Amino acid sequence: MAKQRKWPVLLMSTALIAGLLAGCGGKNDSGASPSGSAPASGSSSASASATPEDLKPITLTYYSEDVNPNWANMQDETGKYITEKTGVTLNAEFAVGDAAQKSALIASSGKYPDIISAKGNINKFVDAGAVIDLTDLIDKYAPNIKKVYGDQMKRLRYSNEDHAIYALPTYSGVGQINFEAGGGFELQHRVVKELGYPKIRTVKDYENAIKQYLAKHPTDDKGNKNIGLTLNADDWHMYISVTNPAVQTTGGSDDGEYSVDINTQKVTYHFLRPEEKEYFRWLNHMNAEGLLDKESFVQKYDQYKAKVASGRVLGLIDAIWDYADGENALKAEGKFDQTYGHYPVTMDESTKDPSFWPTGFMAGWGVAISKTNPDPVRTIKFLDWLASDEGQVLLNWGIEGKHYTVENGKRVMIKEVNDRRINDATNFAKETGIGFYNLMSAHYGDGVKDPTGNYYTLKNPQQLVENYSDVEKEVLKNYGATIWKDLFPKEDEFKVKPWGAAWNIPIPSDNDATVLDEKLKNITWKMIPKAILAKPEEFDAVWADYIAQLEKADVHKAEQLHEQLVKDRVKLWNE
Amino acid sequence: MQAVPTPHPAASRSVGAKKSNFWKVALRNRYLYMMSLPFVIWAFVFSYYPLWGWLIAFQKWKPGKSIWEQKWVGFDQFKALFQDDLFYQVLRNTVAMSVMGLIASFTVSITFAIMMNELRGMFFKRAVQTISYLPHFVSWAVASSIITRMLSSDNGVVNDLLMWLGLIQQPVQWMGQGHLFWGIVTVSDVWKETGWNAIIYLAAMAGIAPELYEAAKVDGASRLRQIWHITLPGIRSTIIILVILSIGNLINTGFEKQFLLGNNLVRDYSQVLDLYSLQYGIQLSRYSFGTAINIFNSVVSLVLLFTANGIFKRMTKESII
Repeated sequence: MAKQRKWPVLLMSTALIAGLLAGCGGKNDSGASPSGSAPASGSSSASASATPEDLKPITLTYYSEDVNPNWANMQDETGKYITEKTGVTLNAEFAVGDAAQKSALIASSGKYPDIISAKGNINKFVDAGAVIDLTDLIDKYAPNIKKVYGDQMKRLRYSNEDHAIYALPTYSGVGQINFEAGGGFELQHRVVKELGYPKIRTVKDYENAIKQYLAKHPTDDKGNKNIGLTLNADDWHMYISVTNPAVQTTGGSDDGEYSVDINTQKVTYHFLRPEEKEYFRWLNHMNAEGLLDKESFVQKYDQYKAKVASGRVLGLIDAIWDYADGENALKAEGKFDQTYGHYPVTMDESTKDPSFWPTGFMAGWGVAISKTNPDPVRTIKFLDWLASDEGQVLLNWGIEGKHYTVENGKRVMIKEVNDRRINDATNFAKETGIGFYNLMSAHYGDGVKDPTGNYYTLKNPQQLVENYSDVEKEVLKNYGATIWKDLFPKEDEFKVKPWGAAWNIPIPSDNDATVLDEKLKNITWKMIPKAILAKPEEFDAVWADYIAQLEKADVHKAEQLHEQLVKDRVKLWNE
Repeated sequence: MQAVPTPHPAASRSVGAKKSNFWKVALRNRYLYMMSLPFVIWAFVFSYYPLWGWLIAFQKWKPGKSIWEQKWVGFDQFKALFQDDLFYQVLRNTVAMSVMGLIASFTVSITFAIMMNELRGMFFKRAVQTISYLPHFVSWAVASSIITRMLSSDNGVVNDLLMWLGLIQQPVQWMGQGHLFWGIVTVSDVWKETGWNAIIYLAAMAGIAPELYEAAKVDGASRLRQIWHITLPGIRSTIIILVILSIGNLINTGFEKQFLLGNNLVRDYSQVLDLYSLQYGIQLSRYSFGTAINIFNSVVSLVLLFTANGIFKRMTKESII
């Protein structure tokens, strides 16, 4: 037995020695880095311009939840330019598969990348004490970041209890104006063309257009049946194509699964709004009329895209990025009259389509600096450089003379470069790196002009029209518009939501709302298709059953929890 | 794992006598022990060492803190699990699909193996075998896509065929009806795995001594009699071992097919335990809850395994432990 007892002792001592060694190593590291960064910070606080010390090459590790499959280790043209200007090289790591899991893993591992972009999962890093407060760093070393955020700075604060800034919101641009109407209800151009450009404003107009066209053309030229309207209900696409439109057609702003009263901030599970029952009743009616694709709730996403690509589907209720793959196939075949236009369809004429309801600056997701970062000052200066006018133009437009030129004070993309950008997007991105670094620091949104009077980003009305096909332009002309957005109610017709958007409010993982939401989602995703596919005379009974199930699953408790979250957000952002 | 039992009988016999005897035996069998050591280590590292992580099922675990700094909550996670109505629904679905799969896959693949065994044309036999086990290598992601398209009501093969035969007037919405889902999963599973599962039976049949068949023929036994009295008893122990192991895995069926074939209309029938733990555990960052489900899984599996083993031991004198 004595023999056996030696083992633990030996093990223990090995572990201790290893621990000691590790401890010493750690000390050496932490001892070295402040001394290394101290001179740099001293000199930089004296002058904001780059000193040679600031450009000392440094490699920082970077973790992002968003995969960039084209990432070229900063060997692209933009990347090289950034390294030249800042001395920083990024060693990037991306989340593959479930990003939330990867983030949780990193947060609990204790080995943190230097720069962390963890979107909605940043709270895991904050809970673990992995990221540092940036308030002072921004104040001292980041004039450009401060300038870009301007009076939105208080939206950067983490919570009412903790006013620290852990993440620079980089996923939304400051002052962003959306030009692209990518939502609403979609109709193929051939439908409106054939019917002489009828007014498409209410669900009835929309239904009639589909009905009339389908009566004239029940099949395509190969004899396959044309499909009136198909929905995309595979997994989370359900939100985009089935449930969110219910809010939209009844004039509510998109706040995720809950609707928030703009005046009282009362939160309702949006399916409980009586108006929405009528929207689903309309879908039920579409199904009974045979205008709704019978497979809507059975098909998988790839089948849906294939259907769109076949050109047989007359109408969609979806977002452009969700069906773009299918539509691109139509474009590639030159079937432009089978591509889609966007119409601000609502239940009745008195309801305004809320697609452009302004949210204000949407802080939240962005870039954080970890506590193990060897040189936070250099890091924030690097991020600050990206947020400078020079940096932002570089990230969006590339390098002057190489990718764009300035003619009479107007910044234009060189034609050959722009053609490659559109037609050879992947290789173009790999070589130039344009678009790789946009989400790494503070930036202005689309539609904001820099001091020279040019747009910071490439997305502007002019650029949009250039990408339209001739058919699309013709349809728009007949509706008296130049871009689809012209058909929709404008931002200034709505009152800005002081909480941004409720779907963007992070829910702490120990909040009961997470589990309640999942349960409610299960019920909704099950019962909504059932209600739509029911016989019209049974619709009311199914709906009553649905509401009863929601009540049983504590929907009102979930509403209260969310109301609290919304109120906290309003307080945090506006006090 | 295989190497462990070999020296064990020798050791256990001597334990009864004297303690020094054990060391004597151990010394004598030292090479056997050394040979088994890597497997013992392997089993320890991969199967037993991770078990300490089960502790988090009794905590409210949050990332970033060590396991000792977490909040202990006792059996709260288990309470939450057993109080959830949904849990019983997914348990029902899991067990139903497993049992259906178990019965179908055993009967079909054994029948198939017997038919293959009776085939005489070598070329034909090989061809059939290869074709039949090919679907096994098709991933569920692809297979489910094939299945949904075949069963589609928009130009799906199955509906077209049935309409052409005049059996139905309108295309049937196969994938949209909850009560058909279990059947569809079972049939797809049979299509995918029959050929593969038959291989092991064919191998067992190849081990049956040909003299037995010759003797039976001399006694005037027909083909069917030969199958009944020689082939089936010949592979009996193989079947029993596989049945016991499958019963042990009854609720660990994975979720691929249900996840890929299911949709919102059949949710009540398609959700299985693994999907449930994914949705309500990991995806909501409820790691402790997920672990609790896992523990439940393991306990049930162990109970099932030992029960099945015990029953077969008593009934047929065959068992794996």
